[in-house]
Amino acid sequence: MALAPAGEFHASYRADMTIMPTRNARRALLLGIVLLCFAPLVLGRYELGLLINIGFMGIAALGLNILVGFTGQISIGHAAFFGVGAFLSAYLHERFHIPVILCIPLAGLGTALVGLVFGLPAARLKGLYLAIATLAAQFILEDFFARAQWFTGGVSGRMTEAVELFGIRFDREESYFYVVLAFTIIMFVMAANLMRTRDGRALIAVRDHYLSAEVMGINLAYYRTLSFAISSFYAGIAGALYAHYLFFVSVEAFNILFSIQFLAMVIIGGLGSVMGSLMGAAFMVLMPEGVQALADMLAGGWIDRTLKLGASISFLREMAIGAAIIIFLVFEPDGLAHRWKQIKAYWKLYPFSH
Amino acid sequence: METGLLFQLVLNGLIVGALYGVVAMSFVLIYKASQVVNFAQGEFMLIGAWACWWLLTYWQLPFWIGFPVALAFMTVFGVVLQVMVLRPLIGEPVISVIMATVGLSIFFQALMKWMFGVFAQPFPAIFPVERIRIMGLEVQSVYLLSIALSLMIMLGFWWFFNFSKHGLAMRATAFDQQVAQSLGISVPQVFAMSWAISAVVSAVAGVVVGVVSGVSSGLSFYGIKVFPAVILGGLDSVVGAMLGGIIVGVLENLAQYVDSQWLNWGNMTNIAPFYALIIILLIKPYGLFGTKNIERV
Amino acid sequence: MKKTILAAALALSLPAMAQTRTPIGHLMDNSGPTSDVGVPYGQGVTDTLAWANANNRGRPTNVLGFDYGYQAPRAVSQYQAWSRDRVAAIQGWGTVDTEALVRFVTRDRIPFVSGSYSAALTDAGGRSGRQGVEAAPYNFFYGPSYSDALRAMLLWARDDWRARGQAGAPRYVHMGANHPYPNSPKEAGETLARELGFEVLPAIQFALTPGDYTAQCLTLRSGGAHYAYLGNTAGSNISVLRACQTAGVQVQFLGNVWGMDENAMKAAGIAANGVVFPVRSLAVWGQQAPGMANVQAISRISDAAGTAYRPVHYVAGVCAAMLMVEAMESAGENGGAMTGERIRNGFYARQNWVPRGFDGVCAPSNFTATDHRGTLAVPLYRARVTGDTATGSVAELVAAGTIRLEPVTTITLDRRADWLGW
Repeated sequence: MALAPAGEFHASYRADMTIMPTRNARRALLLGIVLLCFAPLVLGRYELGLLINIGFMGIAALGLNILVGFTGQISIGHAAFFGVGAFLSAYLHERFHIPVILCIPLAGLGTALVGLVFGLPAARLKGLYLAIATLAAQFILEDFFARAQWFTGGVSGRMTEAVELFGIRFDREESYFYVVLAFTIIMFVMAANLMRTRDGRALIAVRDHYLSAEVMGINLAYYRTLSFAISSFYAGIAGALYAHYLFFVSVEAFNILFSIQFLAMVIIGGLGSVMGSLMGAAFMVLMPEGVQALADMLAGGWIDRTLKLGASISFLREMAIGAAIIIFLVFEPDGLAHRWKQIKAYWKLYPFSH
Repeated sequence: METGLLFQLVLNGLIVGALYGVVAMSFVLIYKASQVVNFAQGEFMLIGAWACWWLLTYWQLPFWIGFPVALAFMTVFGVVLQVMVLRPLIGEPVISVIMATVGLSIFFQALMKWMFGVFAQPFPAIFPVERIRIMGLEVQSVYLLSIALSLMIMLGFWWFFNFSKHGLAMRATAFDQQVAQSLGISVPQVFAMSWAISAVVSAVAGVVVGVVSGVSSGLSFYGIKVFPAVILGGLDSVVGAMLGGIIVGVLENLAQYVDSQWLNWGNMTNIAPFYALIIILLIKPYGLFGTKNIERV
Repeated sequence: MKKTILAAALALSLPAMAQTRTPIGHLMDNSGPTSDVGVPYGQGVTDTLAWANANNRGRPTNVLGFDYGYQAPRAVSQYQAWSRDRVAAIQGWGTVDTEALVRFVTRDRIPFVSGSYSAALTDAGGRSGRQGVEAAPYNFFYGPSYSDALRAMLLWARDDWRARGQAGAPRYVHMGANHPYPNSPKEAGETLARELGFEVLPAIQFALTPGDYTAQCLTLRSGGAHYAYLGNTAGSNISVLRACQTAGVQVQFLGNVWGMDENAMKAAGIAANGVVFPVRSLAVWGQQAPGMANVQAISRISDAAGTAYRPVHYVAGVCAAMLMVEAMESAGENGGAMTGERIRNGFYARQNWVPRGFDGVCAPSNFTATDHRGTLAVPLYRARVTGDTATGSVAELVAAGTIRLEPVTTITLDRRADWLGW
C-alpha cells in the first residue's frame, strides 16, 4: 500500500494508534534519518551548525508546543527554562564530575522540577493571566541567573565541557551533530508516543474544553502541572545541548526575545503538531540566514545602488523577520505542518486535485 | 531610616507610576474592546515620540502645534494597523494574535531605527521652566503635564464608557461580540477606534518619556512595565490600570529604598514588581480589580 | 549556501584575485542594542580595511562584514560560516560575541580583535590564576582594558580631590546594571578605590535600558557620593545623567569608553557637562596630530564630501583595524602564509607599536605572549556642553563649540603583575 486511503479505515485500536500511518511513511522517515547520518561527510561546518541549531531549537519548541499546542497553556518564559537546563548541565559536570552525556538528561529532569515549582501556581491560572505570570517567571529567573554566582558563574557566564563518550570528544560540528541528532530523534519519538497515551489525550482534552475535561474526570490541576513539567523537561534537554555545543553559557542569551522566538516557532510550525515544531524551528533558524543571503546578493547590485540600501540592510533583515511572523499568521494561521499536509494531499491526488 | 529620602522616593514613585498608568490604560483599552494583548504598546510610545520629535526639530514646529499633529498621526496609524493586521486575525487563537503584536513590535523597532538612526536624540525644551520643586523633590515639569493629561484622559474614558454612544458600543462589544453585532453595533469600527485611542494615549506617554530622557529605541522597554501594572489592576479595568501603574511606580521606588538602605542586593527596582505580580496572582488569579469568571463543575 | 554562490561568482570572475586576498571576518552591531556605539566603531574598522587595501597597506584582504545585531547565537553561526571561508582573523565587537567565541578562536587559532576590553581577555597565557579567567591567546584589543581605564580615573579622582583641597575621605560608588559589561571593572575599581583611601559605598544598579532613574539619583545623593562610575553603555547613562541633573545631584561622574561620546553628549545635553571619561586615541577628530591626515583619508572612504564628524569610537576603530593590518603585514614577511598563528605572532613583533602613519593618533601598544594589555596609558577627557543641543547635528554642535571634548590629563598605570587579567 503506497498511499493512505482517503478516509479513516482503521479496523483495530492498534492500527488507529500507530505513529506512522503507512509502511512507506516509516521507510521515508528511516531513509531520511540515514541520509542525515551522512550529512557531516557532505556538508560544511556552517550548514552543520545550522542543523544542530535546528535540532536543539526544535526540541525546545516541541516542549513549548506540548504546553501551548496540546494543553492550551501559554508560556512566555520558555527561554528561562532553556537557560536552567543549560546552566544545570554545566554545573552538574563541574561540581560533581558527572560525565556530560549523563548531565544532559539529568539537566532535563532538574529543569522539569523547576518547571513543577512554577507550574503549581500556574495550574490555577488561565489564558492571559498565565501568559503574564510566565513573563514574570522569565524576568525572575533571569535575575536569579545574574545573581547566582555559584550556579551560573554570575553575569560573566560559565564555561562548559564537550560531550565525551568512549574516549571520543564531540567538540566539533561534525561529531556533535550526531549527539544532537540522537537526542532529537529520541525526544520526538517520545513526544509522538506521549500523544497516544491516556495522558496525552487528557492534555488535549484540557486544551479543547477544560470544563468538559474536568467533568470527564480529568484532574485539571494535575495535567496542567504535568504539562508544565514535560515542557520544562524538553527545554532543559535543549538548553543542555546548547550549552555543550557553544562551550559557554551566559545569562544574556536567555532573554525575553529568545522566549518569543520559541513561541514564533510553535505558531509558525503549527500549534499541536509534533513535526510542526521541527519545521517551525527550521524556519526561524533559516529565515535570518536567508534574508542575510538575499542582502549579500543585493549588496553592491543595481537594486542596492538605486535604493541606496547600504547599511540599512540589517534593519531590513529585522523588519523582514517581524513581517514574516505577521504574514504567516495572516495567511497561514494553521502553520507549516498544515501546509505540508496540503502539499502531500495535492500530489497524492494529482492531477485530479478536486 | 532616612524619612526624607523615603518620602521623596514615594513621591517620585507616584509621579512615574502615573506615567506607567497612562500606558497601562491604553493597553487595557485594546484588551477590553478586542481581547488582544498588545506586545507592541512600547513601540506605540516609541513611534509617537519619534513622530513628535521629528515635527519639533525637523520642521521646527512649536510644541503646541507639533504635539497635536503627532497625535493626529497616531490616530490614523492605529486605525490602519488594526485594519491591515489585526482584522484578518479575528477568530484566531489568542496566542496567534499575541504573536502578531510581537511581530509588529519587532518590525517597528527596526523601522524606527532605520528611519531615525540609532543614536538617542534630545527633545527641544518645551517649557520655559524645566523643573519644579514639589515638597523637596525636583520634578521635571513635563511629568506634571503627563499627570494632568492622564487625569484628563481618565475623565475622558470615564465619560466615554459611561455616556457616549461609542463607549457604550465598545463595552457591549467587549461583553459579547455576537450580541453587540446583532444590536447593530459595527464591531470592526469599535475595534479600529480602540486601537486609535490606545495609540494616541501611548504616544502621549512616549513624548513625556522622550522629553525626560531623550528618544531612543530603548524607550519601548516601558511597554514591559505595563504587565505588572495591568495584572495588579486587572486586565479589563481602566481605573485599575491607572492604580496598578501607580502601585508599580511606588513599589519600584520603595524597593530601591529598601535595597539601598539595608539589602544591597541590587536590581530590586526592576524585579520587585514581578515578584508582586506572582504573589498577587497566587492570591487573586484575576488581579486586584479584574472581573472574576465563576466556573463550577 | 549564500557564501557558496558568492564564492562561485568570485571564483569565476576573479580567479587570480580570489586566491591572493586573505579573508577577514568583521562582526558589527549596526542594528542591535549597542548600535549607538557600534555604528561609528564598525564604520571606522570597515573604512580602515578598505583604505588599507586601496593603499597597499598590509596584505590584500577580502573583508566579510556581518551585522549580528548583538545576538550571540548569530555571531556563533556566522563564525562557523567564516571558518569554512577560512578567515585568517576576525574584527569582533562587543561582550556577547567576544565571550561566546573565546574558546572557538583559541581552538581554531584565529586572532580576534574585539571592541570588548574586558581585562579577563588580557591574560593570554592563563597565568593569573584568577577564578573564571582562562588563557585567551588569540584575543586582542586596542586601548586600555575596562579595569585599567577605571583605575586611571580613580587615580585622577584622588589627585582631583587633593587639588580641590577637600578634607576627609572621598566617597566612591559604582553604578551600572548587573551585566558582564558594567561588572567587568567593578571589583578592580572598588579594590583600588579602597587602596587609595576612598570610602566605597554599596553599588547602585540601574538597567541597561533608558528609564526613570530618579530613585537611583536620590540614593546617590543621600549616600553622599563624590565620585560615581557610570558603567553602562550610553543609552541608559543618558537617563541617569538627566535624572540626576533634575534631582540636583552634585557628583563627579566618571564615564567609560562606551558610555560617553559626542552623540551621548548631544542626547544628554547640559546634563553631560563635566563628566570625565577615558578616550582610547591620543587625538580626537578635529585635533591636530601627524597621523590625523591618514584618519581623514580613511574617513573619506565612506564620506566623500569630507564633512562628517567622526566620534571617538571611529578613531578607536581605525587604530584597532590598523593593528591587525600591520600584524598581517608582519605575518606575510618573507612570503609567510597567512595563518592565524603567524598573524598572532605579528602582534608581538613590535615594541611601542604605533601603526605607520598614525603617530599622535594611535597610542603605542605592547603585546607579549603572556600579557595582552596593549596600552596602560589612559588619556582622560572632560565632556563640555555649554548650550542647547536639541537642534543641529553633532558636527554643527561641535563646530559651534556647544559640544567640546576637553583634555584633562593622561594617567599611565604601572604594568602590575597582579592586575593582569583583572
